[in-house]
Formats: sequence, structure tokens, C-alpha cells
Amino acid sequence: MGDVATGVDRTVAHSARMWNYYQGGKDNYQVDRDIAEEMLAIYPGYGIKARTCRYYLFRTVRFLTVEEGVRQFLDVGTGLPTAENTHQVAQQFAPESRIVYVDNDPLVLAHARSLLTSSPEGTTCYVDADLRDPDRILGEARASLDFREPVALLLLGVLGHIAEYEEALGIVRRLVDGLPPGSYLVQCDGTTTDASYVKALAEYHDAIGVPYNPRSHEQIAAYFEGLELLEPGVVPIHQWRPEHGLVGVPAAVDESGGVGRTPLRPG
Amino acid sequence: MGAFDSASEQPAVPFGMLRDQPGDRVGSTVLRMAVGAQLRKRREAAGVSREEAAYLIRSSGAKVSRMELGRHRFKERDLVDLLALYGVDEDERKEFLDLARQANVPGWWQRYGDLLPSWFETYVAMEHAASVIRTYEVQFVPGLLQTDEYARSVVRLVHSDPEEVERRVDLRRRRQELLTSANAPQLWAVIDEAALHRAPADGGLCRAQLKLLLELNELPNVSLQIATFGRGVHPATCGSFTILRFPVQDLPDVVYLEHLNGALYLDKASEVEDYVDMWHRLCTRIDPPETSGSTLERIRAEVCAAS
Repeated sequence: MGDVATGVDRTVAHSARMWNYYQGGKDNYQVDRDIAEEMLAIYPGYGIKARTCRYYLFRTVRFLTVEEGVRQFLDVGTGLPTAENTHQVAQQFAPESRIVYVDNDPLVLAHARSLLTSSPEGTTCYVDADLRDPDRILGEARASLDFREPVALLLLGVLGHIAEYEEALGIVRRLVDGLPPGSYLVQCDGTTTDASYVKALAEYHDAIGVPYNPRSHEQIAAYFEGLELLEPGVVPIHQWRPEHGLVGVPAAVDESGGVGRTPLRPG
Repeated sequence: MGAFDSASEQPAVPFGMLRDQPGDRVGSTVLRMAVGAQLRKRREAAGVSREEAAYLIRSSGAKVSRMELGRHRFKERDLVDLLALYGVDEDERKEFLDLARQANVPGWWQRYGDLLPSWFETYVAMEHAASVIRTYEVQFVPGLLQTDEYARSVVRLVHSDPEEVERRVDLRRRRQELLTSANAPQLWAVIDEAALHRAPADGGLCRAQLKLLLELNELPNVSLQIATFGRGVHPATCGSFTILRFPVQDLPDVVYLEHLNGALYLDKASEVEDYVDMWHRLCTRIDPPETSGSTLERIRAEVCAAS
């Protein structure tokens, strides 16, 4: 039975738990696995997408930490913990890094608070806030981060949860405008580039607790308007500074994103 | 980068996850469970029934089942025969055998074998192998977080021989070394406030225990949540339980339930989910871990005032 007091519902598929399943995690219920498998039958690319997104997080956070010297991260839409979480990646290269995780899901927050714990040199903290409330997110971030220094804002696979594109765009604007000069936006979302992916999301739109809406590549690129795009710009994420390992060229995914920098002086 | 070196395919090497772990911490138990789980996969893929496999190694279906659950030591000859039957190629067969050999190495706790009923020995072995330990305690401070004095007073509730009491306290201390070892597991503990007021012998002991909890709460791999009286009833409508997670993708979480003369180990998905769901509802309902430090200070002040 669903539990109103705690917000944990075992009877309805849950986006973060399904994503955890696609990533090979163990924090999911039967109802999540059932819906996830049905969606996989329509769009078999979910498993690769989930791993590619996680690898994109790794490459972007490492790039910002090592190449750009960023030490503060605001990760909105944390998700359930997996192998390489934002603070682990950042603190692996710069142990003093400070991370604010933001989510509005009680289950995600409970896991984050207990399992996403900082290295002794840095800090992690957790904010219970909705993506639709950018002012609150910024206010809470200010309490833990130094807003005289750049902050990397991570919006990975979360803007699709906002049903109206214009609203999602407005949220990005307000968040980015509230960051210190020389800050960064790291973003990615699923794209409408594959008919079976769009079909899977449409058919199961109402079966999942928080539905997800894919966007066109151009709509995703527009999130970065007014920012200086770092190489290679907004691209399908497997093409973002790829590393060709033993397995050869990374598999293509229907997911676009990029990294942009806010102007050094406001205005 | 082990987790990502194959962006386009499922990991080709079944034991890839294990190789990333320093041998000591993976421990023989989880290795045995992992080898067993792989063995079951290969048998099913080859379309061989448990009984057919059992016939080949002159054994019973029940024994094959125990092997596949990692509850039985592997005999090399049996493994060689089974792997051949399942059509596993030579390179992989060698890998299976290497791991099975490592899995047969006894753990440190076997020196305490005379003290441990076999159901608890299994627990100590699994605890040693776990990557995440989630535990809910109603009446006592969890064993991994007890001071020697506290542990001694708990052991004395059931045992009187002084030498045996000391060895049992030793064993508990050995178990606690896990928390500060290299590649230590994450311990996520929920303790009912009542357990913290229930001083086993005297107030001084209780204060020392609260002080240790405050210190351990600072470890990055330890997270404490206290089910305070102030938050009223909570969803854990059962006794104490522990959920163990292992650092191998194929191994399910295991729920450990202890009773007076034995223990239950649940690993069936639906049964584990009942406890995991209760855990989720419990820890989202009570105070978050950030407040545990001040809660412990408050309880320490109350205990000091009372004694």
C-alpha cells in the first residue's frame, strides 16, 4: 500500500527507482521492474542510455574539477545513489569539493542523506526542494556554498519532468541567472530522435509516478542561450568529449546535452 | 572505471565486479555466493535441470541448490564436471576454479567457531562481505556500534563463564574493525530511542556508549537515524532486522532476522522487498541523520541527569 505519511509507494512505478533498475542497481521494486521491462520491450536502448548518462556525469564533473578548477556543485535531481555519484567524482579529483544535492523525493533524500556522504575535506548537503521552485533551491544553495566563487549547476535528465517546455526553459533561466559570475550549467535530457523511445514514454506516461517528456535537440540547445558553450557544444551525450576505450566507439543514445559557462561579469 | 568500460554492452566478464575488490574484503562468503549464482545462470542457460546436474556429480538436487546459493564449499572435481556439462569454455572454466579456490579459504571468524552457532557464523561471514549494512534495532545498540563494556553487559545476560564472556566481547570488537578497515562497508542504522535509554548496567556505561555513538556518527561510512519518542509511532511493525547488500551485481540483498535459537536469511525477491519497503517507510518517516548528533546529546544529558 502507498504510505501517505512517508511518500513511499510500492504500488506505483517510480521514476528514480526505474532509473536505478536501468543502471543495474538494486534499489527498485517489482512494480518498477515490471514497467521498466515493458518499456524496454518497446525501446531496448534504456540500459545503454542509463549507463551513458552516468558516464556523461563522470566526464563532465571530472572535466569541471580538473580542467576548470570548479569546487562547488549544485546537483538538482539527485536520483538514487549508484556507483559514481557527483561528490565521489568531484572529491576523487578535488577532495575539498562541496556538493549540494537537491531532490523532492523522500526516498531519494533518505538514501542521499545516509549514503552520499562527503570526504572529510569537503562537504555534501541535501536540500528537499522542487525543481519548480528555483528561488528556494538558490536560497538553500547559498547557505552551503560560497556564491563569490563559481558553481556548477547539474540538471541531468530532470527538465523532462516539467511537462511544459516553456516552464522548463524559465526554470533554467532563473537558476542560471542566480548563479555567481563564471558559473557552469551541465545539462542533458532524452531527445525525440527515436520513434520507439517517444512511443515508450507516451504509452507509459500515466503509469509512472512522475512522467517524463523528451525534447528536440534544438529545445535542449536553447537551454544554453546566453551562455558560452564549451567544446563540443550541445551534442548527443556519447559525443561529448568521448573516450575511446577497449570497447571502441561509445554507443549512440537519444540524449543530448552540453556544458555552458555564465558571463564573468553580470549583465 | 570498471563500471563504465563497456558503454555499449553488458559486462562480458561475469566476475569483473569482483576483480575490483581487494581480496580480503570480498571475503570467501560473497565469492562463494557469486560463484554459485553464476553456476546457476550457466546451468539454466544450458537447459540442464538441478536433478540432471546432481546425477552427474553423484549428488542430490538439494545439494546443487545449496552450491548455487553459496552455502556449500565447492569440490574442484564437481565444478570441473558441471562446467563441462554446461558447455563453459576453458578460459572461463579456469576463472571459475580460481575463484572457487579463493572462496574455500576460511575467514578470521572461524577461530571463534566454538562460540558461534552455525546460523550466526553465517551472519558474521556475510556481514564481513557486505558493502552496505542497513540495520534496525529496537532494544539494543547494534553490535557493530557497542562499547566493550556495553557488549560485556549484553553478553553477561546469557553467558556467565568469564573467559567465554571475554572471547565473545573480542569477537564483537573484531567485527567492529570492519567499520574502519580499508574499503569499509556503509552502515546505515536506525535505533529506537528506547534502546538508548535502556542502560544495561549503570549510567556511566550508558554515557560512554552514547559518547562512542557520537564519535562513530562522524565516520563518513556510518549513518545513524534515531526513531525518537517525539515522532510517535513509526512504520516498523516488526522486531529488529538487518538488510545486507553485497558488492556483486548478481547477488540479491539478504534480510537477516534473528530469534532466540536461530535465524532466518531471506533472499527471495518478494520477501526482501517487504523488508526493504518497511525500511524505506521507516527512514523517511523519522528524523534525518543530520539531527542524530543533537538527539544523542539530548539523550546523554537526560541519562546523566537521571543517574
